[in-house]
Amino acid sequence: MKCRECIEHLYEYLDRELTPAVEAEIRDHLSHCPPCGTKFDFEGAFKKFVQARTRAQGCPPELKQRILRELFDE
Amino acid sequence: MATQAPTPADSSRRSAFEKEALVHLDALYRVGLRLTGNAADADDLVQETMLKAYRSWDQYQPGTNAKGWLLTILRNSFINEYRRRTRHPETVDVDTIEPFAVFQDIQEEDPQGAFFDKIVDDEVLRAIDGLPEAFRETVVLSDVEGMSYQEIGKILGIPVGTVKSRLFRARQMLQGKLYDYAVGNGYIKGRKP
Repeated sequence: MKCRECIEHLYEYLDRELTPAVEAEIRDHLSHCPPCGTKFDFEGAFKKFVQARTRAQGCPPELKQRILRELFDE
Repeated sequence: MATQAPTPADSSRRSAFEKEALVHLDALYRVGLRLTGNAADADDLVQETMLKAYRSWDQYQPGTNAKGWLLTILRNSFINEYRRRTRHPETVDVDTIEPFAVFQDIQEEDPQGAFFDKIVDDEVLRAIDGLPEAFRETVVLSDVEGMSYQEIGKILGIPVGTVKSRLFRARQMLQGKLYDYAVGNGYIKGRKP
């Protein structure tokens, strides 16, 4: 696999949207292509960072209680 | 409403709903908040979504993708009832926005993206809220909620190819915003004049 093709699949790879065969080809390319490896690492770190910064928020307990009351007349 | 004692059918319906639907309240709230942009509307939107979902619970096939099903209801309710009053209609032509490649600017100074660690939750949420709606909803479903391209396409009613291209642009725009923020706060030097 060439760099160009590898980069085209960057997000699909990070999002686990590729077939195992294509994933393996990319892993193989990354293992001997430091420039692509660095870019993939950077984008992977960004994805993890966004997830870590946005998942703390959840449904407020008062809202949950309100919904349970509405649904089940509690 | 319910004046009679619950029948066995009621209680099995209820326990199925609790097990399969109510467990997704946090996800629904997070997405609702990003769509509406404020807590009061997010509260109403989530509550309405749960009521609608419970009413049409018979249409849900047990064991299939409850999260996707609920998010579809949430998003349809948002479009029909909230979008007009909570946000301005999109004025950006989403296909003409030039992606901004942060990595190219930063690969010498901070190739591991260590500057991300200095950026707090609120700033990331603010940056997401600043994205055009089509990008915002796609990136939230993918990066925040971990939905697959196919699930996102189904929820948003767009082809998988469109999910891919929106996600690409959304992430580039988000990086651009956070990069500017990091440069502005002196977390990194950056290469912009």
